[in-house]
Amino acid sequence: MDTSKGNGHGASSNGEIRVGVYVCHCGTNIAATVDVAEVVRFAEGLPNVAVAKDYQFMCSEPGQELIQQDITEHKLNRVVVAACSPLMHEPTFRRACAEAGLNPFLFQMANIREQCSWVTTDKPRATEKAKHIVRAAVSRVALHAELQVREVPVNERVLIIGGGIAGIEAALQIADAGKPVILVEREPSIGGRMATFDKTFPTLDCAACILTPKMVSAGQHRNIDIRSYAEVASVSGHVGQFQVSIRRNRRYVDDKKCNGCGLCYQECPAIVSPKSRKVSIEGQPYFVGSYAEGGEARKVTIRQGDRERRKPIKDTPTGDCIFCGKCATACSEVVGAHAIVLRRDESAEAGKQRSLEFNGNCIGCGACVRECPTGALTVTDAQDRQVLHHEMMLGPNKAIRVPTLQAVPNVPFIDEETCIHFRNGGCGHCAEVCPQEAISYDMEEAIEEVEVGSILVATGFDTIDLAPMVQYGWGRYDNVISGLEFEILCHASGSTGGKILKADGTPPKSVAILHCIGSRDEHYHEHCSRVCCMYSLKFAHLVREKVECDVYEFYIDIRAGGKGYEEFYKRLMREDVTFIRGKAAEVTNWPMSPEEEGKLVVKAEDTLLGQIRRVPVDMVILSPALQAREGAQTLAQTLGIGCGGEGFFLERHPKLAPVQTAADGVYVAGACQSPKDIPDSVAQGAAAAANILSLIDKGTFSIEPVVAVIDETLCGGCRTCINMCPYSALSADEERNVAVCESALCKGCGTCVATCPAGAIQQQGYTDAQIRAELEGALGRLAASSAE
Amino acid sequence: MASPGVPLSGELVKELERIPDGEKIKQCIQCGTCSASCPTAYAMDYTPRAVIAAMRAGQLEKVLRSDTAWLCASCYSCTVRCPAGIQFTDMMYALKRLGIKHGITPKDDRGQKLMATFVEDVDESGRSSELWLMAKYFMRTGPQAALRDAAFAFNMWRNRRLKLVPERVKAAEQLKAIKRALERRQG
Repeated sequence: MDTSKGNGHGASSNGEIRVGVYVCHCGTNIAATVDVAEVVRFAEGLPNVAVAKDYQFMCSEPGQELIQQDITEHKLNRVVVAACSPLMHEPTFRRACAEAGLNPFLFQMANIREQCSWVTTDKPRATEKAKHIVRAAVSRVALHAELQVREVPVNERVLIIGGGIAGIEAALQIADAGKPVILVEREPSIGGRMATFDKTFPTLDCAACILTPKMVSAGQHRNIDIRSYAEVASVSGHVGQFQVSIRRNRRYVDDKKCNGCGLCYQECPAIVSPKSRKVSIEGQPYFVGSYAEGGEARKVTIRQGDRERRKPIKDTPTGDCIFCGKCATACSEVVGAHAIVLRRDESAEAGKQRSLEFNGNCIGCGACVRECPTGALTVTDAQDRQVLHHEMMLGPNKAIRVPTLQAVPNVPFIDEETCIHFRNGGCGHCAEVCPQEAISYDMEEAIEEVEVGSILVATGFDTIDLAPMVQYGWGRYDNVISGLEFEILCHASGSTGGKILKADGTPPKSVAILHCIGSRDEHYHEHCSRVCCMYSLKFAHLVREKVECDVYEFYIDIRAGGKGYEEFYKRLMREDVTFIRGKAAEVTNWPMSPEEEGKLVVKAEDTLLGQIRRVPVDMVILSPALQAREGAQTLAQTLGIGCGGEGFFLERHPKLAPVQTAADGVYVAGACQSPKDIPDSVAQGAAAAANILSLIDKGTFSIEPVVAVIDETLCGGCRTCINMCPYSALSADEERNVAVCESALCKGCGTCVATCPAGAIQQQGYTDAQIRAELEGALGRLAASSAE
Repeated sequence: MASPGVPLSGELVKELERIPDGEKIKQCIQCGTCSASCPTAYAMDYTPRAVIAAMRAGQLEKVLRSDTAWLCASCYSCTVRCPAGIQFTDMMYALKRLGIKHGITPKDDRGQKLMATFVEDVDESGRSSELWLMAKYFMRTGPQAALRDAAFAFNMWRNRRLKLVPERVKAAEQLKAIKRALERRQG
């Protein structure tokens, strides 16, 4: 390194450079370790320095006035303040300079507190270091140029991605302030996870009772435009002016025509029954219909030993079947499934010339049974299990349906998997009965382009896939269910009407609730999912309220840090729930004693006793870890925001900017940022709304001029920089074959500057010359003594 | 690795340092997954979780006197399931090594004798012969116990799971040389 004496760099460009240096005592923070007077004497001797002073607190009003007076008096055109971190007071001094008529970017801060006085007690060496730091600032500030802050106008319209409780709360706050909101929801209805809950902890108020009014007022609000069953396809532009494409999925129901009467799902013959259904002729099971996959259901029948009986009837009917063929007509003409065919065999003997043939198209709708004049056909449930916890749903169980009866918007959608029309081109019942003619089977995906000024991401969470954790038996044992499955089981609108039932349809006599499944676990997620302790306590209460039942909670630690949470824990203890401190290691159906026969056995160590316990129960509820939504990474890239280690969206600052992100104008709220309960999600939704409203109210957004500038005469159009930019600020100008920088997106990270092989990119405020001058100032030897 | 918050004895600390991720014992959340996953925990005087608690409390002698390590069947269930990523099975070996070195072992020394017999057997021939292993073991611990297992051994032999003639690896001498070299290196 060239160790010039501090004046080796070219300091003057146009006219005389006059630098004012101000050294702050910061009370004793700096002055106790750094000899401030000595630093001032040193600064006076530096090139271009017109005046150097020290003061007790530079950031105070008198301190700022001192600088402003000197700017006029000494005709200063550069200012250096040697004090704390620029994060702390750079804005303060820039403002002071601007008020005195000096361009704020002709100011430079020298950090002699965090980087000097706070990190040592050695006074002489601290003073030496402070001198170096001051000289670095003085030598760089000479090369500063006047820069202008750019103001971009902010579009009032707000895009909210995700219509859960956080998104709804933010939408209502913003809309109530009179600003237009577009609320995009992937599901057919807004409401999110909360809409599937029965009760909420710790107050046990009914989730629907507190959520539905909010959903309805969002749906009816004149400033809120809900785009349900839709996703954000792409985002371009920058703060204040985003261009967003919204992809609207094929709903097959025109939301402008539909009046939500519900006739379609009342009339729909295709039942999304959690139970496969079986049609029998004269008591003999013949074929099985399934809600989704005819082939799957056929395999089930064959497994059950029905293969032999799946033959056309050959003998003269001994029972009621008269081979009238009405069933076949109903099946083909009404339903359009063509699952029953009436055969006439002319060559056969009399009495045997007719037969019924069945194929795998049957969907178990029961239309044939309704048509059968003799009652020879019956439809029954094919499986032994009465309750299939994994397939339960809220709302009507038809191919055309609304997710819940409280859906907002109250517009049904068609599930292509189940719908007869999409399976074989038949049926068309719903379109026939719809009084509004809102149903159209050839609806296409639509892309809508909108312009917004700010974006709020509130996409919520997923729960961890339980299938790979084989030791807990989810997916293997009928009565091992996940937390979200239990919520629906418990929900008044669920298939069991809120009754807590085992798979065989009987109530359990004992229930185990297993905490921390996939949370606090290096193999899955290291984080604590935060909500599980409390909702597990809520489950225990609901089980004890609805069923006469023993409840066991297997926990590592109960984390009840929230308003009224610890009190709720105490309440559950009073309600005679058995708490076993130990994480359940496995669930097995292998009995080792008579009382374990026919039960699920939870194995855990009672760590307070130091004893291994085997607890036989009828039902096991797992509390799975909350994790980031699938596709969060892709959305983060689309928006130019980051994801943390666990995949949740990254806030700008974990404490001081919890709803802002690295991208200006993009905010986050709710469980997409980290696992969160309802109160916290609502608080964040409201906080994000306040942030967005303050941006809108200001009307413009100031963009720092510390951005990359491309010298087009040097740019070779290699595009290396474009791929390196983490904020998508750079793009290629195809015509001129050069890279261009959108300064509203540029964060001034400098990656492109370092990447450019031609040296065509400079960063304003951090030009090569400025950095070199600063290094020379920092590293050069001091005239009087050595820093060594 | 020794930090003031975790009063492990110096030597145990050194042993743990030799195990990959050995320092993770500091991160144990005392959930008991190890104990409830352990097929032999029912017979131990302290559960595996309690062993970690005692080690962190500085009660190393109590740990070495317990039979927990000696009853470990090395099935690795605890290691696989531990949410804190503690290599528990490897730690059990470390405890056994320490116990032998300092002569601090449980009163019931059958586990130690079985292990010693096994090591002698493998040292000699490179293979463990179940029949001779058990024969030698019962000679050391009391032959009357052998009668109890005789029927079991007979069944094993009938199912061709027990060889009467001990086997040797082809190059038992080379194996010994490798072992000697290793012992020299580790001191």
